[in-house]
Amino acid sequence: MADSLLAFFTIMDSQDGIIVKDPPKFDLDLYIQNYKGRTRFDRLFLIGRSSVPLCVDALKAAIAEAKRGKDTQRYREAVECLRIAAPSEPEATFDQAWLEAQEAANQIETNRLLTELKGYKNNLIKESIRMGNEDLAKHLESIGDLNAAAETYSKMRPDVSTPKQFLDVGRHLVRVSIQRREWGMVSAHLSKMGGAQHAEEEKAVQPYLRIAQGIALLGQERFKDAALSFLSADSTITASTYSEVASQSDVAVYGGLLALASMDRNELQSKVLDNSQFRSFLEQAPHIRRAVTQFVSGRYSACIAILESYRPDCLLDIYLQKHVAAIYSQIRSKCIIQYLIPFSCVSLDTMNKAFGGPDQGIEDELADMIQSGAVEARINTIDKLVTTKAANPRAKMQYSALRAAENYEKQALDRLRRMGLAAAELELKGGKKMGAFPSNQADFMIEESLEL
Amino acid sequence: MDHLASALLDFPPAGALPDDDRYNWAAKSHSEKVDQLAVTQSFKEFAAQLLDHVDPALNSISHLSLLIAARSANSLPQAELLAKISIFLSTFDARQIRYAGKAFSVLLDWLVGGTLFPASVAVELLTTALLRLDPTGSVLTSYHVALVKLAFDTDNVEHALPVLEKNVVFYPGAKGQLETRPLCALDLPPVSYITIESGLTKQLSSGDVLQYDLLRGLCFIQRRSWAQALDALERVITYPARDNHSCSKIMVEAHNKWMLVGLLLNGKAPTLPSHTAGGAQKAFSTLGKPYQAIGKAFEESTAESLKTEFESVGPQFFSEENNLNLMRLVMQHYQRWQILNLRRVYTKISLEQIRARTQSAETAAPLVTEAEIQALVQQMIDEGMLSGVIERPADGGPAYLAFHETDDELSETDFAQKMARTAQQLAELEPLVKATNERLGTNREFVRFLVTQQKKDKDARRDYDLSFLNQVEDEDLMTGVVAGF
Repeated sequence: MADSLLAFFTIMDSQDGIIVKDPPKFDLDLYIQNYKGRTRFDRLFLIGRSSVPLCVDALKAAIAEAKRGKDTQRYREAVECLRIAAPSEPEATFDQAWLEAQEAANQIETNRLLTELKGYKNNLIKESIRMGNEDLAKHLESIGDLNAAAETYSKMRPDVSTPKQFLDVGRHLVRVSIQRREWGMVSAHLSKMGGAQHAEEEKAVQPYLRIAQGIALLGQERFKDAALSFLSADSTITASTYSEVASQSDVAVYGGLLALASMDRNELQSKVLDNSQFRSFLEQAPHIRRAVTQFVSGRYSACIAILESYRPDCLLDIYLQKHVAAIYSQIRSKCIIQYLIPFSCVSLDTMNKAFGGPDQGIEDELADMIQSGAVEARINTIDKLVTTKAANPRAKMQYSALRAAENYEKQALDRLRRMGLAAAELELKGGKKMGAFPSNQADFMIEESLEL
Repeated sequence: MDHLASALLDFPPAGALPDDDRYNWAAKSHSEKVDQLAVTQSFKEFAAQLLDHVDPALNSISHLSLLIAARSANSLPQAELLAKISIFLSTFDARQIRYAGKAFSVLLDWLVGGTLFPASVAVELLTTALLRLDPTGSVLTSYHVALVKLAFDTDNVEHALPVLEKNVVFYPGAKGQLETRPLCALDLPPVSYITIESGLTKQLSSGDVLQYDLLRGLCFIQRRSWAQALDALERVITYPARDNHSCSKIMVEAHNKWMLVGLLLNGKAPTLPSHTAGGAQKAFSTLGKPYQAIGKAFEESTAESLKTEFESVGPQFFSEENNLNLMRLVMQHYQRWQILNLRRVYTKISLEQIRARTQSAETAAPLVTEAEIQALVQQMIDEGMLSGVIERPADGGPAYLAFHETDDELSETDFAQKMARTAQQLAELEPLVKATNERLGTNREFVRFLVTQQKKDKDARRDYDLSFLNQVEDEDLMTGVVAGF
């Protein structure tokens, strides 16, 4: 690795960024073609900051992307990164002239739109005001002032007159909220969009709604709900309606992975593999389909192997990145649990072969899982065996019956005691507020005579 | 003297008394007569001689007054007097003593004073006497409090255990009680005859009650009987309060010990019972902070934070709070609990692995050699804390610990036995519940409360009916919706 790259990733590491050393399986150019809008830059920039092999290419693409737009702040950030990572590249120098010209143009445009809007407001024509607000908000969004953009978009709401306009407002707000990573707001805006629409319009935005909802739920780490949301997206609607948020293969990856992490085998079969809607999404991501199939048919090690080989791809995804570790470990422990179910005794060696990596054995992981109560099993480290313990409802019943009786006795005694104390009027009464310790007890000290 | 003797032997008469009322009357008049005789000069003179003729088990009231007279006249050699007192206290007729509470309390005061008998004997005699008087052990008396103090201070806990292990649910000093049965009635619950008026106890304060349970807790701690200690201390910390801000210092002290005992007993911090008084909860959370921090650190998987927690507070602090020894035990037990918790994960594990996986709270590092860990594990097995065995394979493989399978499931007969035992324990509560019920039923204030409550219920019902009828629209009258009214 070049020195400059090394320096760049040391900085990224110190900022708690995730660094991916292995090359992903996708081609950067093809990958980015699937998206449109501001998410393109976000994705490129993320890849540039995370992936070692793609760093320079992605950053260069990000700079080009930023230069095509109007957001000067993004340009600065991208160039700043490239300057550290690859100072010799021609793109690594600031295009000062462009920057200044663009900033000036932005300012002029903002002012122009503001004056126009003022004019519309004076004329009191609703439609014009709405359009004025929309233009201004779009401009604000494109120059990166997301806060003001969200505010201006929501000002469109009172002047909406058709269902399509209503949906547009919602989509704008959802898009901005996603960019600001405000998952709660995304859900709130989506729920507003959900109600009272005409059937056709609703049908056209259905995948958009579901996918955005899924992303929001993913952001809130509600994996199962997110999975269900992705799985119910309508695949017959063209991808361009939601390409500012995610691509078709993204939907397949998100939905499949989250389903793997949160559902059992029957559910996976019925809700993922037999789901005709979702099948066409899965065609875009055959590896996820393979992983789910392997899991359902009980070949857990194959499933994990496939997922592991795609870990770099997932780590370079803008929404998935933060959750990959959690999702993968959930899938893994589910595999281990499912693997153990049919056996009463398994040797550690076979488990190691199935799940263990070259550098770490399965034993510690299994011990942690038993400790946390995820698996009912015992490890025998001497004979290298894992014995599973079947739940014993009889023993549980006996235990809880005895406990209940014990508790009953304890509580009965306690209540009798309290009644006795109340009858004898011996309850504590503080008198004054500050007199928490009655003075006649203040000098009461106990000498400890515990002999050891 | 003969005249005295005949009066003293007068009660109880040779033939058994036919009913409680007759007994009550006879016992009362006899006790009054003895009280009158006791002040006469001749009584004091002949007391020592008469003692031999009056059977302590049969004529308990008379024997008791003779003992008191003999001591005050100093007419008996010390050794003989002590022997007589001991015999009396272990054989007296508890039914008669209900009529001679004031005299009996004089005798008990001698024991509590601690000068007459050596402490160990005094504790034993007090325990016997208290249990003879109240076999259920359900009533707290001032002598209970004195007993636990004496036993704890003089390190004679063992002899007091029969009393200390009883569950106290009644306290003297209840007001507004109407007892219609005579004092001698055999079905009379102890709480009705052990009263301040009968002289068998003195007035207690809430501080006394708290002290009693705290000292009980300390006694059990001394005996390392953690479950009982936890129970006793829990009684202190859940002591009821009338308002929402008061808390006794004793309760805070108990809370701190309770936390440490809980760690020793269960390996995790106990949770505060929900019915703890509000003021106490607040006081515990501020004044018990170091202990709660210890409790939290104890549950962590590495010893580091427990060690720092202990050291940041410092042994000085715990020693001032008289908790240093308990605290030391907690530190020692940390590793033991770690080892014990391994049984939930492993059936067999090598000693080397145990060494690497568990840490001593004293050094916050694993033990250095396998021999040390072996000694520790062996100690745990010997003490019965751990059920397992250390095995050394013949082929020279590493030594390992095999946990015994704990078979959770009980056989049908075992389970039936256990359930029967529990049912028996519950049935034993019945007299206590009955007594409480009776006392409530005869309590003036409670009856008054019940009457107002019933009236309120009736009013509420009427109000509801009215409001419902008002709600019914005129049209509904035909649908039969109000037919029931």
